[in-house]
Amino acid sequence: MKRETIAPGVALTAIPADSFKSCRISLNFIVKGDRRTATAQALLPMVMERGWLECPDMQVLSRQLARLYGANLTVCGGTLGPNRTVTVSISGIRDEYAVGGENLLAEYLRLVFGVAFRPDVKDGAFSRDAVRVEKEKLKQLQKSEINDKRIYCLRQARRKFYGTDVAGLEKYGYPEDVGSITPEGLYATWLDMVTTAQLEVMALGVDGGTVRDRLLQELAGIRRQPVALNMPHAMPVGQTRFYEEPVDATQGKLCMLFTQRQTMTPEKLPAMRLAIALLGGTPTSRLFMNVREKKSLCYYCSASFSVIASCLSIDSGINTADAEKTRLAILSEMENLTNQPVSARELDGAVRYLTNALESVSDSLSGLEGWYLSEISRGTLKSPEQVLKELKAVTPQQVTQAMESFSLSVVYLLKGNGTDDCEEEML
Amino acid sequence: MVLEKDMADNQSKTRAALARLCTEMTPQRFVLDSGLTVLVSEMPQFKGVHAVFGTRFGSADKSFSLDGQTVELPEGVAHFLEHKLFEDENGNDAFELFSATGASANAFTSFDKTCFLFSATDEIEKNLRILLDFVLHPYFSEKTVQKEQGIIAQEIRMYQDSPEFRMTFGLLGNLYHVCPVRSDIAGTVESIQKITPEMLYRCCEAFYAPDNMVLSVAGNVTARQVLEVCNGVKIAPSGHRLQRQKLQEPDTVFAKEKILKMQVSQPVWGIGYKGPGALGGEVKNELICDFITELLAGETSPLYNRLYDENLINAGFGGEYLSGPGYCSLIFGGETPDPKALQAAFEAEVQRLLKNGVDEEQFLCTKNQMLGQAIMGLESIEDVATDQAAVFLRGHSLYDEVEQLSALTARDVEAMLPTLLDREKCATILIMPTDNDGE
Repeated sequence: MKRETIAPGVALTAIPADSFKSCRISLNFIVKGDRRTATAQALLPMVMERGWLECPDMQVLSRQLARLYGANLTVCGGTLGPNRTVTVSISGIRDEYAVGGENLLAEYLRLVFGVAFRPDVKDGAFSRDAVRVEKEKLKQLQKSEINDKRIYCLRQARRKFYGTDVAGLEKYGYPEDVGSITPEGLYATWLDMVTTAQLEVMALGVDGGTVRDRLLQELAGIRRQPVALNMPHAMPVGQTRFYEEPVDATQGKLCMLFTQRQTMTPEKLPAMRLAIALLGGTPTSRLFMNVREKKSLCYYCSASFSVIASCLSIDSGINTADAEKTRLAILSEMENLTNQPVSARELDGAVRYLTNALESVSDSLSGLEGWYLSEISRGTLKSPEQVLKELKAVTPQQVTQAMESFSLSVVYLLKGNGTDDCEEEML
Repeated sequence: MVLEKDMADNQSKTRAALARLCTEMTPQRFVLDSGLTVLVSEMPQFKGVHAVFGTRFGSADKSFSLDGQTVELPEGVAHFLEHKLFEDENGNDAFELFSATGASANAFTSFDKTCFLFSATDEIEKNLRILLDFVLHPYFSEKTVQKEQGIIAQEIRMYQDSPEFRMTFGLLGNLYHVCPVRSDIAGTVESIQKITPEMLYRCCEAFYAPDNMVLSVAGNVTARQVLEVCNGVKIAPSGHRLQRQKLQEPDTVFAKEKILKMQVSQPVWGIGYKGPGALGGEVKNELICDFITELLAGETSPLYNRLYDENLINAGFGGEYLSGPGYCSLIFGGETPDPKALQAAFEAEVQRLLKNGVDEEQFLCTKNQMLGQAIMGLESIEDVATDQAAVFLRGHSLYDEVEQLSALTARDVEAMLPTLLDREKCATILIMPTDNDGE
């Protein structure tokens, strides 16, 4: 892996990955999160993905990609703690596997840089038709979260957890802001992104020099003025807040969000990784084995930790009648992990599980890319091997201490009606 | 002369690329004395190993005879068995045994197979022994069966809340009269209450026999390592005679339409076409079905792009095919604000395709796309082990698919259109928002 700064706020990470059949290039724009621009930033990738100046037609672009052996070109929006991301990426098979002998890499570069830096813009505005269509799609996306009750419960809990804090900005923006976005305004959002964003370019299985040259060519035409990003922070500790919402569903959902007293520092991360694995990160975790298997209180019960938000999330699919029992069982597992010593055998099992996961990072392009992007965002840039060494040095006491730092902030219950008697009519 | 040289170069590159694919898609294959087939793809450039131990037993196997005795199963037995095999007579869970080595284990059940799997970077032999041992040494009691009924009931309920799941099984329920694919793979909360330990043991005798199974391994492992483990584990040949009984499925559809109400943000509409059951499970027919879904509803299709821009569909709209012994169907669908308009546009496009035939340009693009997907599947140990097990259980190989794909023409697809898109054998489903949700 080689990372180099190409220009202020622009870095290229080249990862040799020649043993794979495919290669991948991604341009990750990271912009400062802001409530006022969140919705336009959510809409932007949807409009960009439709096409670019040389190929504004969605169907023609889809056929070009299919012809390139199903190359996958995407533009995705997301959140990264208190900041937002727009990722333009392409992945596809390597030249040597092209049955027709085509120069695929040249096409991949043309497309991914074209979509990122030469969008379908005329007279300072994106295509009006494209913006109109995608605004409707964005409204549908905002409404459709209710279709997946697990995601809906997590998002509702998150809304209560963050309140108006910038770290809680909505991935898909806000319904009330969609109508006022204009094609000109969206172009301004794009311009702001390419001029002020931190840009992390990842090249996997592609010659870094080729990508570097292409990137410099693109940047030469832009007056870049990178802006400092928002700093990650933990949400304050306070009294636990309980929420219930009835839904028309057979299964209930329970989501519990915990905050830490302060932002996670990198040296505490190895113990935290192990603590989460022990609690609810594996099929033999305490939540899985005790809450699901022994007590049969739920179908799933898992824990995850967001380093950037210092937030522990536990979510579960339950019989609504068992909600209180499940909540208490989860808290009891948390307490046991905090108050009782972790056996060497159990800790060894968790280390082995994470060893397996870390050693497997290099077995896929997505694993490698995800790993190094996470490391870059935390400013640590460690290899999986380095992290593995750190994990092996963690003591049972450090695991216990890691769990001590959490305070339950939000409990969100989606109350299912417990039956699947949705009205049905056969014609 | 230059053109001829270029053409010769390209043909030579094509031959070289296909030859390389043939090599990479062909695992080492061994048949043990017990009848168990072992497939190994040595991929030393990877750190991990993925192993899949699969059997030809899925939710579609509801009726069979064992040693001349007929057995009828309630819905959901194959999936229930998948869950139960993880526990031994001492109450130990196989997950815990894998956990001690750091391996990550799982299992899944489909219409026609059940597979148990692990991924690991260390102690590969030990993990292989655990895998073979827990799958081949079942233990069930009234108490453990009862406990599992509670867990699986939760799983069934969870899927009942998914609109996509309800659309798929709603359509299959409309298309088929008796074929078991019309029901949820996990069964119903009621049907799993009928499962007994004796029933599970009977299924193990019938379907967990080595000659009905495959062990497929890919990654940083040698065939020698795998065979040594297999030879060290006692795997007895089956002493039973299994005969699968096929239910007589009528040619007609069971119901033309169904309407449900759920808490969804906007209506979900789907349409399914029932093909002749005899076409199911054949490589060429499955490739043709795959082409038809892309030609009609893929991102390269005129219909998808037009409806997307008219806001009648979103990016989630698409099609898929379901194919196996005795069933073959195509289903399409997604969210829409106007189900009537979507249905009219879709049916008109089907008629246009039947009348005008296949667009050659789209066909060639789709062919390249499918070839690319096959190649990409070779760079993941999980995909290689899983796919080679799946195609083996269906009686063919990974390279068969590439070879038949290369030979397929637009005319082959056109010839099957009237059979696979028969208006008389189609059904629809509509999921409407409950009254308090819709606008």
